Amino acid sequence: MRRKIITLTLAVAMSMSLSGGLSAQAEEANMTVFWWGNQVRNERTQEILDMFAQENPGVTFDGQFADGTDYWTRLATLSAGGSIPDVIQMDYLYIEQYAANDLLLDLTPYIEDGTIDVSNVSDTILSTGEIDGKIYGLCNGINSPALMYNKTLLDEAGIEVPDYMTLDQFKDICREVYEKTGYKTSLTLGSSTSTAYLEYLLRSHGLQLYGDGAFGVNGAEDFEEFFELLEIGITEGWHVDPSVYVERQAASVEQDCLVYGSSPETMSWCAFYASNQLVAMQNAAPEGIEIGITTWPTDDPEASNYLKPSQFFCISADTEYPEIAAQLLNYITNSVECNNVLLGERGVPISSVVAESISDNLSEKEQEVVTYINDVITPMCSTINPPSPENASEVISLIDGLTEKVLYQEITPKEAAEQLYEEGNAILAS
Amino acid sequence: MIRKFFLKESTAGVIFSMPFMVGFLAFMFVPMMISLYYAFCDFNILSDPVFSGLKNFKTMAGDDKFWKSLNVTMFYTIVSVPLKLAFALAVAMILMKSTKATGIYRAMYYLPSIIGGSVAVSILWKRIFATDGLLNSILKGLGFQTTIMWLGNKNLAIWTLILLTVWQFGSSMLIFLASLKQIPRSLYEASTVDGAGGCRQFISVTLPLLSPTIFFNLVMQMINGLLAFTQCYIITKGAPLDSTLFYMVYMYQQSFEFYNTGYGAAMAWVMLLLVAVVTAILFATRKFWVYDGGY
Repeated sequence: MRRKIITLTLAVAMSMSLSGGLSAQAEEANMTVFWWGNQVRNERTQEILDMFAQENPGVTFDGQFADGTDYWTRLATLSAGGSIPDVIQMDYLYIEQYAANDLLLDLTPYIEDGTIDVSNVSDTILSTGEIDGKIYGLCNGINSPALMYNKTLLDEAGIEVPDYMTLDQFKDICREVYEKTGYKTSLTLGSSTSTAYLEYLLRSHGLQLYGDGAFGVNGAEDFEEFFELLEIGITEGWHVDPSVYVERQAASVEQDCLVYGSSPETMSWCAFYASNQLVAMQNAAPEGIEIGITTWPTDDPEASNYLKPSQFFCISADTEYPEIAAQLLNYITNSVECNNVLLGERGVPISSVVAESISDNLSEKEQEVVTYINDVITPMCSTINPPSPENASEVISLIDGLTEKVLYQEITPKEAAEQLYEEGNAILAS
Repeated sequence: MIRKFFLKESTAGVIFSMPFMVGFLAFMFVPMMISLYYAFCDFNILSDPVFSGLKNFKTMAGDDKFWKSLNVTMFYTIVSVPLKLAFALAVAMILMKSTKATGIYRAMYYLPSIIGGSVAVSILWKRIFATDGLLNSILKGLGFQTTIMWLGNKNLAIWTLILLTVWQFGSSMLIFLASLKQIPRSLYEASTVDGAGGCRQFISVTLPLLSPTIFFNLVMQMINGLLAFTQCYIITKGAPLDSTLFYMVYMYQQSFEFYNTGYGAAMAWVMLLLVAVVTAILFATRKFWVYDGGY
């Protein structure tokens, strides 16, 4: 008898907790959102999550953020542990890898049924998040490669930096700046690192960095132009000494040679970044220094330039609340209110209506980025390369290593190109 | 019956060792076995591991960076450990002389070891050796004209890491200090009577009686050296030109930055074997130089 009672109580308790759980699920959703970024982004993103939660009672968010490399380490371990956050910020570099491993939710049904409204988004932008015909990521801002430069310094020296400059023009400016001011040039260690610029130069010759399971180039000689530029910089003396880099955090705006350094000897007049980082770079610049923005040097600007999804928002394939997550993505994409808080920090909003209506609230630098995208890049660009293959991060590390070796004059550009072609192909094939 | 069970001595033993046993099994043994399995798999952390036999180990044999990192780590260990022990012993000998301030001195010299492995010290170190850092400022003050890029120079960078390790001599020093105190005064008195000077005493009395402690410190520090991670990861990340690429940092990169987690696991097991071999070699040499007899 006694045992029976216990069983019964347990059963009742269990069913109660079960039904409790079920009803709770319908009303309450506690979701994790994970992104990388900087202080400004963290504050703004948390604010829009709070706003969304207020409009949708029952929904609560646990906003988490991490820095660059740590982000991918943590996301990978979270995925391996089966606890991937509900909504994640995703990069063009990794989206294919995560989609291929079934970690991301296919957003196509939510776009088709109108949960995510994309009527004001151009198809080109939308398709950047498309893999094998399915949309896995919704781009949340547009940017493009951009050369940041010390406008104040160059104005004082009477040197003009034109948009769409060719490699020769660029080299001449580097030499002139070095002669007149002592400031050098830093070609690497920007947020986009060496790989993005190598890819950019290849595009000007109609080549893609990655092909299918191998490089997309015809041979090692296609890589030489890039490494030669580095060597010219070092031998002519206008490139910063590579030992400066060891002390700096890669891709850190605050530690870039453009804004940080004790003497012209260790500083650069320009830096290779993406357009949406102009605001952060201006904030990091010393008092009285204005940072300008222009295109990366290339002999064929139309072939080289591209509009890039600055990053995506994706939904975890395991999320319990795909509907609400999709609504959140819609909110970020289409709500003017929301974007008045974000203010294009992740790039120019992809909805033309939203981009239009927040333009009055943008600061001068934010406005400059929009102008750069609309007037400099858009008329003079071509389609972005497909997402990087799975082993890209190892190839990127290889390119960075070879760049370093050329800068230290350990190997010639020709040797670097050959090594890259051989070892990179081996990585891509595995 | 139950009472009897609880009163048995073995029961108490089992219960008291439970916290350790459970922790060891759950957080050491099981993960180790899983990593052993991964070492024989193609595993990119995102999808399920696929068994691939010895592939990872074959790749390793042809991986220049693997050999480079192994070289760097061995060089670092072989240079830094003897230096550290010599330094620790020297300081311990000095601190043997008791004055009123001895306690304070001992605490001060031990301090670097407490904060030693931490991120904060590594960042501090990076700042000291930076181009516009403390060391170069001091050198400038002393009249040296050229600024040296300590971290950016491929021949010097590793030495800044070695110096950091040597500076963290505290724990070895404490152990030396304890066993120095155990050497009976009578031996020194006897040797003085026999006409031995300070040097002779050190070689014939102190060193032999200290040899078991030296051995212990040597083994412990060798293992620590081979497994070093934080300093390198924070200060140089292997740069310049991989001249400071520690084995553990390369393993971390492979596992979590390149997502070659299977390869990383294989590297971990190779290191485990290496540590075992090095320790075994040290133990084998024991009988030639370690004095285990009484006083």
